[in-house]
Amino acid sequence: MNDMDLRDILLRVEKPSRYIGNELNIIKKDIDENTIRFAFAFPDIYDVGMSHLGGHLLYNLMNEIEDVYCERVYSPWVDMEEVLREKKMEIYALESKDPISKFDFIGFTLQYEMSYTNILNILDLANIPLRSNQRREEDPFIIAGGPCAYNPEPLANIIDFFIMGEGEEVNIEIIELYKKMRDSSRDEFLREVAKIEGIYVPKFYNTVYNEDGTIKDFSPISDEFPSTIKKRIVEDFDKSYFPDKFLVPYIKTVHDRIMIEIFRGCTRGCRFCQAGTIYRPVRNRSIERISELARKLIDSTGYEEISLSSLSTSDYPEIESLVSAMMDEFEEEKISISLPSLRLDKFPIEMIEEIQKVRKTGLTFAPEAGSQRLRDVINKGIEEEDLINSVRKAFSRGWSSVKLYFMIGLPTETDEDVLGIKELGYKVRKEFFDRPKEEIKGNLNINLSSSCFVPKPFTPFQWFGQDSIEEFDRKIKLLKDNIRDRKIKYNSHDGKLSFLEAVIARGDRKIGEIIIRAFEKGCKFDGWSDYFDYDKWMEAFDELDIDPHFYANRTRDFDEIMPWDFVDVGVSKEFLKREWERAVEGRLSNDCRQGCINCGVNKEFSGDYC
Amino acid sequence: MKKLRLKFSKTDYMVYISHLDLMRLFQRIFRRIGIKLKYTEGFNPQPKIAFATALALGVESYSEYMDIELDQDIGIDELREKLNSNLPEGIKILGIIDRKDSPAIMSLIEWGIYDIEVELEKEMERDEIEREIEKFLNQEEIIDIREKKKKKKIVKREINIRDLINNIQIKSLEGRKLVLNMFLKTGSNGNLKPEIVLKKIEEISSLKFISEFPRIYRRELLIEDDGVLKTPIKSIE
Repeated sequence: MNDMDLRDILLRVEKPSRYIGNELNIIKKDIDENTIRFAFAFPDIYDVGMSHLGGHLLYNLMNEIEDVYCERVYSPWVDMEEVLREKKMEIYALESKDPISKFDFIGFTLQYEMSYTNILNILDLANIPLRSNQRREEDPFIIAGGPCAYNPEPLANIIDFFIMGEGEEVNIEIIELYKKMRDSSRDEFLREVAKIEGIYVPKFYNTVYNEDGTIKDFSPISDEFPSTIKKRIVEDFDKSYFPDKFLVPYIKTVHDRIMIEIFRGCTRGCRFCQAGTIYRPVRNRSIERISELARKLIDSTGYEEISLSSLSTSDYPEIESLVSAMMDEFEEEKISISLPSLRLDKFPIEMIEEIQKVRKTGLTFAPEAGSQRLRDVINKGIEEEDLINSVRKAFSRGWSSVKLYFMIGLPTETDEDVLGIKELGYKVRKEFFDRPKEEIKGNLNINLSSSCFVPKPFTPFQWFGQDSIEEFDRKIKLLKDNIRDRKIKYNSHDGKLSFLEAVIARGDRKIGEIIIRAFEKGCKFDGWSDYFDYDKWMEAFDELDIDPHFYANRTRDFDEIMPWDFVDVGVSKEFLKREWERAVEGRLSNDCRQGCINCGVNKEFSGDYC
Repeated sequence: MKKLRLKFSKTDYMVYISHLDLMRLFQRIFRRIGIKLKYTEGFNPQPKIAFATALALGVESYSEYMDIELDQDIGIDELREKLNSNLPEGIKILGIIDRKDSPAIMSLIEWGIYDIEVELEKEMERDEIEREIEKFLNQEEIIDIREKKKKKKIVKREINIRDLINNIQIKSLEGRKLVLNMFLKTGSNGNLKPEIVLKKIEEISSLKFISEFPRIYRRELLIEDDGVLKTPIKSIE
């Protein structure tokens, strides 16, 4: 790709710096015939992809391997795609500006199901066949990892092989094997890579279906391949790889800051949460290591903000000491600290005040369900009292804007539970005004927000039939009709998108052809409401004679073979069944930190609490 | 030395980053090289960095200027060396001078000198092109209609851009490749984009261009000091 060609396209698109690379800390390498070229591909735009911590980690880690040059590619925004297609230019990697079709590997990260059509679009823009079995010897290996890879089946016809679990170590093993086998055929390499623990090569496995469409049998085509694929993890998380530099984008991205993962996994055991299972066991990073990384990263990037990230940041064992240590170190340099994913019910509001010194931005709580009964069903472990106490404290300290997040369509939900969302909003309102007049400051703003529950693999709710779109709409309307207070705003998410997400999340191999058909009809950026085209997806199901309700709305039997059963995430199916039964009975299960609940993960892995 | 004026170039891929992005980049570079900037007072303190004038996306420049205020001492050569070894390819510090108490750069700029590289529709003699440009410059009025959004309504305004042109010359001619040197009003006290001049030349003269995105180079920015034109660095010396 020469610069003049690029100039001609970059001046036609908005935010051209999405496509130039050249950021601070970009890695430049000389390319020769020994170079193994790896494209890290994020199937969404640069602004989103650069906000993803895992991408920064993989980029720097891969580039530490001798003879490997890892470059990046993101989905071009629609204006850029149009120009690329008009000029018949192939999609290129940001570092070298070379077409990715010439690379050895293209590795996609699977962060959410609704990005799958964007994977196809990137392949198409690179002139690479969409289906794995149509790829030629000279095509790159199309590989994938990330949380959605734990049910790889919907992409089994597209991806050459999947990496299950944490890629820190296994990626290196793949490259070492590839170095030895560069002259071997595609098939020979796939046969060998399939023997690495944590690697799944779909073409060496066969699915047989029952007449009703459920799975009768899933097995490898030969004994040389493992019948279950066990996820990989890094055992010594504190010592595990973490980059000491990040790429610094020019445009403002979604999370434009340093991100340090302070621990991996979550001890809570919320029953709707897939991340809570698949990232087990919980492993902490030490304060010393976090501080050391923070200093190095600030010095190498010049960033003005550090985010201490995890699935539930307030659960870090010494969160208060950590925050104080960070404030002491960085306050004078005008570097701010942010704590995403806080459970505000259990977190000292004084500390939030401390870090939000300048402006009192809104507070966000996620009770997830409106009634105590339903919160117990999902094992959220939040008492209404906790929430009200936190809100009261926040109001007395000058906050006046509160956001509450909920899900509708959770198992066992009744209309009473749905209306509980409204009740909670009204109780928060009451807390604000039930104070002496002189203490009431600011303009109260309560935002209630609901998403539609999507049952996910490897959760106790994996057998549950999702509410129909009509039922979601009815519940949303019920809430809308009942919330009549101008201080309380309610917004809801689109049930149609959640329906489709449920189909893909629990899909089998047949869903792959649906994704290809939808893409061919023009579907892309499905996660972006302006581009999501439900009707086109429904046409795809119609044309291929596949019933999406079979995947989304059907309640499964415990003994049904799930498409993802062959993946071993450590947590046992027995545990998930037990948790489902406890959920229906409304019984809570305790946090791992209060004692083991025998999820099974410690049979093969060990974490900080097990 | 705490109040400094820096001259820098913005070329290669860096022509695609916006004014705001450039501001963020410099803030981060200063933090990266460990140089403390002075901050504004108030609820949302901002580092004291000010650019002379914005540069349009896609334009290469060899004379951008910025004023900064430091909260520490550092030698000019050391600062320049540190910045240049940390800035990305395409941004380069060309000079630094102690600004002392001379006026801040914001809103000082009056004129800009540009080179514009275009392709002629058909080959022409140099004399012929010169005559056409002269014809263009001899107009008393060259009206351009500018649109502004005001409260969601588009307000149209006619302005005579002839007053905003100091001079236009041929810099080079090779076959159909023509480079024009333009001396145009630039900055917050009146601004004329070279592309607009090209469009008007095509309307008024017989010169016709085929480049959709002509290459534009900003060569210098000038301020007026008692009626004398000076570069922002010369005005201090």
